[in-house]
Amino acid sequence: MVASHQGLAQRVSDAFWRQPRLLLLVLLLPPLLWLGIVYVGSLFALLVQSFFSIDEFTGLINYEVTLKTYAELLQPANFDIILRTTLMAAAVTVAAAIVAFPIAYYAARYAKGPMKALFYLGVMLPLWSSYLVKVYAWKLILAKEGILNWMVEGIGASAVLNAVLSMPVIGGGSLSVSYIGTFLVFLYVWLPYMVLPVQAALERVPQNLLEASGDLGASPGQTLRHVILPLALPGIIAGSIFTFSLTLGDYIIPQIIGSSRLFIGQAVYAHQGTAGNIPLAAAFAVVPIVIMGFYLWMAKRKGAFDAL
Amino acid sequence: MSMSYAVEFDEVSRSFGAVRAVDNVSIAIEEGTFFAMLGPSGSGKTTCLRLISGFERPNAGHVRIFGENSENLPPNRRPVNTVFQDYALFPHLNVRDNVAYGLMVQGVDKRSRHGRADEMLALVKLGDYGDRKPAQLSGGQRQRVALARALVNKPRVLLLDEPLGALDLKLREAMQDELKALQKQLGITFVFVTHDQGEALSMADRVAVFNDGRIVQAGSPEDIYQRPRTRFVADFVGSANVLSPALSQSAGSAKAWHSLRPESMELAKAESGRLAGTVASIRYIGPVKRVTVDLGGDQLTVAVPAERTVPEPGTRVGLNWSDASIHRMEDE
Repeated sequence: MVASHQGLAQRVSDAFWRQPRLLLLVLLLPPLLWLGIVYVGSLFALLVQSFFSIDEFTGLINYEVTLKTYAELLQPANFDIILRTTLMAAAVTVAAAIVAFPIAYYAARYAKGPMKALFYLGVMLPLWSSYLVKVYAWKLILAKEGILNWMVEGIGASAVLNAVLSMPVIGGGSLSVSYIGTFLVFLYVWLPYMVLPVQAALERVPQNLLEASGDLGASPGQTLRHVILPLALPGIIAGSIFTFSLTLGDYIIPQIIGSSRLFIGQAVYAHQGTAGNIPLAAAFAVVPIVIMGFYLWMAKRKGAFDAL
Repeated sequence: MSMSYAVEFDEVSRSFGAVRAVDNVSIAIEEGTFFAMLGPSGSGKTTCLRLISGFERPNAGHVRIFGENSENLPPNRRPVNTVFQDYALFPHLNVRDNVAYGLMVQGVDKRSRHGRADEMLALVKLGDYGDRKPAQLSGGQRQRVALARALVNKPRVLLLDEPLGALDLKLREAMQDELKALQKQLGITFVFVTHDQGEALSMADRVAVFNDGRIVQAGSPEDIYQRPRTRFVADFVGSANVLSPALSQSAGSAKAWHSLRPESMELAKAESGRLAGTVASIRYIGPVKRVTVDLGGDQLTVAVPAERTVPEPGTRVGLNWSDASIHRMEDE
């Protein structure tokens, strides 16, 4: 017999059971409102700003749609910033993938029980402490009087370090004021964002696929190239989205560590703040979005997501 | 040591921690035979297969492949290929590239390896499926792809790890016939792991029955079925009746363990049987009825053709069989 005494909660859950779409709507409405208005809305407002221009004489924003501001991006001083940031992001991403892969592979294939817990702790621990503190800590490590220099001197390799620092463009007075220093700190700070997705992807590669590859005559290197890497690629791409876009947008690390030349994030900060040039700041902010879009489109075309 | 053996196990043991998965096993598998390793799960048969393919190494003893000690040979350098239990097809490659994988890693150019892969796919009747991804195939089709992929390298020994386990009954029976025909056609050694005694008996030339990491009995399917060496074999292969020494003696045989096939027995009048008891239950299984007769403690099962009428449960009946059908086993 059907129970006649129904509470409100009972009636609501019955209604959801009869109308699954209603449940879906209730579940999705809050995040959709958040994403739609707060997130996409503000992004769109930013995009609109980039199509306005600033009046050079009055410093006021001229609300007429124009591509003038984008043309400004192509001026050598601005274009250098874009190029510098993109190259740094690419270098950090490639290095992060190379450093992260063995760690992730070990964690996915060999680490068990306490070792696995230790792995997660080791990877996540840097994320628990303040980002600023870590960056300043690195400044101390990389400084001319810092521990790294001291160690390099200790093992008598100063000549090597000096040779590296005397290289054009990437060198500098010390590691803490060179692009190498900026690169090292970016790599350190974003590495967990590469390790975790790669580890998750490797975790999903069944052991028997590796055995099948070996059984069919593949050497371990061939198995890595033809089976493990293609199957881990979605994870590497996911990780690279983090490392690449986080480097493209960051404005604190290059400000504290490195040569004083600007990165995109710093340019955005400077233009929207003291300079009051919101359109140019917006146009700069659009650059990482376009680069990321292009990157993902290329990755998809190259079949990076085929294994998903 | 003879070269006519494809695979030899010489007192091989393999332990995992405290568990002796393979315990002092010796086998010699002749070249060109269809060899089945039969046993319940955890009996060591799959570990034996992995010792041949090289995914496990023995703790003691030697595994010889065509007379050569294989301990130091990695899997990729052994003349054997495996059809894995869940097929292990590469999800990111299409069917043709899956089959061509073994040739690709050898450096065969794309055109010839695709040609060879298509030939193999035609052999397993999947000629039109080369462009599909494994995820788009049914279980039976995947099984064939795995077979084609393992055969493309022209292995001298093909290892099959419960390859039919995931298929439904009808498909399984069809694949049994096909595998048997394929083995005849190719003339290479098949080593087949299964827990299904029907599969092992119907396909194999020789069967090794495993229990607790040891081989309990090895021989032709007929040997195994008609002349089980131990109570375990009698029970595991075809559920034979096992007669205790006391019961055997009261039925007129020697005082030892005996096995007796249900289909070798007949029901008779209570006073004219070698043994007498009460019908306890009757089960209909397609072509036969299995009549369980209670002998005051011991129970024996008789298979009676389904069209025959049988006495109701509770009726006193006698049991008869010919002297040739009762088989004396080792006292284990």
